[in-house]
Amino acid sequence: MKKYRNYFVNKLGWFLVTLVAAFVLNFILPRLMPGDPVAAIVARLAQGQSNATGVQAVYEQYTELFGTNKPMWEQFIIYVRNVFRGDFGYSISQYPRTVADVISSSLWWTVALQFPAIIVGWILGNTLGALAAYLKGNFDRILLPISIFLSNVPAFGMAVVLLVIFAVNMDIFPTSGGYGHDMIPNPSLEFVWSVIVHYQLPFWSIVIITIGGQAIGMRSMAIYELNADYVKYARFLGIKDRKIIGYVFRNAMLPQITGLALSIGTMISGALVAEIIFSYPGLGTTILSAVLGGDYPLISATTLIITIMVLVAFFALEIFYGLIDPRIRAAQSD
Amino acid sequence: MKHLLRQIFRSGKFVVGFVIFMAIVLTTLIYPIFVTDPPLEIISRGTFLPPGVYVNVYDSIGGVEHYNLVLDDAASRRIANQLSDDDRLAMQEWLIGNEVPESEIDITDTAALLELWTNNFDPTVRLPGMTNADRNYYIRLNSRLDGLLDTEGVVIAEMNEESGQLTEDYVIEQNIYVNVGELPNIRWLPLGTDNFGRDVLNELVTATRVSLNIGLVAGVVATIIGLALGMISGYIGGVVDDLIVFITNLFTVIPGFVLLILISFSIGQEQRGAFTIAVVIGLTSWVWTARAVRAQVISLRNRDHVNLSKLSGHSTIHILATDIFPYIASYVVMALILQISSGILAEAGLSILGLGPRTTDVPTLGLMMNWSMIYQAHISGYWWAYFPVILVIALISFSMNLMNTGLDQVFNPALRD
Amino acid sequence: MTNIVLDVDELTTKYITRFREDIYAVDHVSLQVEEGRAVGIAGESGCGKSTLALSLMGYYFPPLHYSSGEIVIDGQNITEMHPEHVRKTILGNEIAYIPQAAMNALNPTMKVINFIEDVIHAHHPRMPKKEIYELAVERFQLLGLPPEVLQKYSVELSGGMKQRTVIATSVILSPKVLIADEPSSALDVTSQKMVIKMLKDLMDKGIVKAMIFITHELPLLYHVVDDIMVMYAGQIVEKGTVDEVIFDPIHPYSRALMGSIIVPEEGLRDVKLTAVPGTPPNLKNPPSGCRFAARCKYAMPACRATSVELEDIGGGRSYRCIIPEDELRKAYEREDKER
Repeated sequence: MKKYRNYFVNKLGWFLVTLVAAFVLNFILPRLMPGDPVAAIVARLAQGQSNATGVQAVYEQYTELFGTNKPMWEQFIIYVRNVFRGDFGYSISQYPRTVADVISSSLWWTVALQFPAIIVGWILGNTLGALAAYLKGNFDRILLPISIFLSNVPAFGMAVVLLVIFAVNMDIFPTSGGYGHDMIPNPSLEFVWSVIVHYQLPFWSIVIITIGGQAIGMRSMAIYELNADYVKYARFLGIKDRKIIGYVFRNAMLPQITGLALSIGTMISGALVAEIIFSYPGLGTTILSAVLGGDYPLISATTLIITIMVLVAFFALEIFYGLIDPRIRAAQSD
Repeated sequence: MKHLLRQIFRSGKFVVGFVIFMAIVLTTLIYPIFVTDPPLEIISRGTFLPPGVYVNVYDSIGGVEHYNLVLDDAASRRIANQLSDDDRLAMQEWLIGNEVPESEIDITDTAALLELWTNNFDPTVRLPGMTNADRNYYIRLNSRLDGLLDTEGVVIAEMNEESGQLTEDYVIEQNIYVNVGELPNIRWLPLGTDNFGRDVLNELVTATRVSLNIGLVAGVVATIIGLALGMISGYIGGVVDDLIVFITNLFTVIPGFVLLILISFSIGQEQRGAFTIAVVIGLTSWVWTARAVRAQVISLRNRDHVNLSKLSGHSTIHILATDIFPYIASYVVMALILQISSGILAEAGLSILGLGPRTTDVPTLGLMMNWSMIYQAHISGYWWAYFPVILVIALISFSMNLMNTGLDQVFNPALRD
Repeated sequence: MTNIVLDVDELTTKYITRFREDIYAVDHVSLQVEEGRAVGIAGESGCGKSTLALSLMGYYFPPLHYSSGEIVIDGQNITEMHPEHVRKTILGNEIAYIPQAAMNALNPTMKVINFIEDVIHAHHPRMPKKEIYELAVERFQLLGLPPEVLQKYSVELSGGMKQRTVIATSVILSPKVLIADEPSSALDVTSQKMVIKMLKDLMDKGIVKAMIFITHELPLLYHVVDDIMVMYAGQIVEKGTVDEVIFDPIHPYSRALMGSIIVPEEGLRDVKLTAVPGTPPNLKNPPSGCRFAARCKYAMPACRATSVELEDIGGGRSYRCIIPEDELRKAYEREDKER
């Protein structure tokens, strides 16, 4: 167990370092860009106002609010402190709602959609890929081109296709939203059902895209493992095929989990865009409306939250990998 | 080198991918030679015109030769265009609901059906189970049917400017045809128009070219950065390596797309040209290449020819350029292809969020998607505004991926199946 | 009366290529191994030694297919058995195989003991784990391996240790026949010695009753096996005891092979060094006559005419050549004198 403890501490250390880096980047990047974000915001707000002093007053107020008149490092400390207090400031496009309020209402929609979708897609994709490698023949011949094709369709493309086929043409599913437009969130069965119905298309578009990518990878891994020496050796000692398949898939899965960890950032990014297609009330639509509204505080906070989300997912996967790869848990060798 | 090229072109996957890709590239280059209209020129009033051949009605009435063609089915086609089978069934339903005996209704006999209809239809009647929408449908249907069976022609009249009186000029009979080839004004819109009234096909070709350019720039930038960092960290090792690996690992976890959003937004609308966006995309997506190159360089740095070079006293840069680079060139090419492909996708994603290149200059594939999404094309069924775009994106991505897999199998014989 | 543990009669197996061609990699091979004897199979790369090893197991994986012949292990004719029965009762139980490059033969994510459990359970599904563990410990100790190895993953073991673990695992059920395919080729000299000692221990302690040792390293054979069979292009071209074949080879190929060893061993110093020019024939279309004729110094037109049988010349020796024994020996003497 000692080896695992080392592994765990190592990964935890990395997590913290990356977290700090994320904060720094999120803070610094916008401020390094040419142009004064406050001025841009004020310009937008002050459109139509001809009173120069009025505009100046607004500018000063916002400068105070954002603290852009203080030195950089002081701003950073204020920033970090605020984040930990949960204070992200006020949303410009949805004033007087606070940014924290806006994000907290859309964050859970995204998490509830994406994480199950990615996991389900990963499981299904890997299973199909493994089956294709093992069964070969016609199953493989059908699965491979489909997977190749699917893995090249961007997430939003699949979202549009599903939307058009199932929502617009066949009218089975609704075209937008997280729940019925005429409903107010309440813990009634009707509401829950509406949520489930609205959940289907976004969910399945993410799942299908994930399946495409994973199936191909797993198929290659499984083919590689099936031809491995230990497979032949085990067979020659009389071990049943079923058991050997177990060996192969356990071994092929490990790099797949690592692969998932490495690509989780891209997957989530793609899924966010897919959310927009469905006007799903998650972080994707939040970003879109924030961009349209020039809402700097909201965007800055949303990117931070998304980064943290990806970070957490990544490190959760690494910890999980450490638990299931027996070599990591092995006792220290002499 | 020639042998290598020959091997590459013998790979089935590479050739297919290459052909598709070149077809797309050539189209974007050749099309503008023949069609010189500016892509963002608004050519229609009204949004989302469906694909088809658009014929100028004014010209067909006036300035061209009128021909007489007597075709038997002309009348029934005209009727069928207005009165579909579903419409007939709807009419039957209405009539039955209005207590017309079913035996008297023959939906195949247009004349009789229409007579029954004209005699019985009452727009104010509301049958049980009929919604408002249904009632409006019947009213619209009724007005469509007006004059359906007429055999008289249409009168073209001239208005007297002073008196305001109309005098008959001539009559357009039902069997008058014009030769489309003689019309001065027809416009073929294979993909209709978008929400602003712009020719979608024209836009698409230009957008593809722009997106490919963006992808190319982004890919080159990312590959150069990745190559440089990978080579330096892989070859020099030590503290430099640790530092670069640290940074690389950092950027592996922090999603490049998020940084892209942040940077793109902060740059502001005015600064966001296509080129700038491309560079930014390149700056945020070099991680994978750097990692792959570093791995390769590490396995190469202890090879004999490298050691020989070191003993000969060659400078590090010289060694990197002449001893290491040629061996990783194949990886670099593959990495470049992948980076270009992902660059195009990244731009599309950015544009959908509204953070892509400026909208007034040139269209990009992502921007076209953005417009069609914002204007709800997908919900209203205007497939031409988004589906070709998705198809092009998927094809580009697919063909590049194929080329890459083909190249991979050539450079790495172990992967050949 | 010594017991014949392994009796192979005219075994023929083939590879079926992607283009549906048959390649007979093992062509009517017959051999017998008596109890307590080890037989070495010698030959250059591509002569079919490894394929022979796989073929002797009695269980075939595509593209390798059984064609004809019989394999009898201690009275049991395994070529007539149903494959599932072979898997259950023969593989690992009666006959075991040590693969080339055994370092990769262990599943990287399993502990050695867990793998051994799986091997034993495949044949004795109800043996309790405790009993398996005791058996494994006992066997490992008997063969000079520390029992701690059982709790390790293959990545924690050195190359030599891995090889020996594989050998110990292969014989855990005390099979009657052990087939070792290049068991020491990839190892350093010290590990090689340990592996050879282990194999000999297996025979001496009666854990296995007969062994077939395949290698292209002839000096090794001298120390390990009792009899040698020389193989060429899918056929056995000479059989005899190890002293006979190494010091007094009859078949021209055997002679050329023995002449290509560089070993400063007593008695072998007198053997002159010769290379064997040319390459083995393509087994897709084997030549009609003697398969070695194209590279043979002594070939006559008659050699290429008809196929040559393995001729038994008594005392357990046989060779496959139409030229009479004494003529060949005279020719060899002449050659040796000329040097």
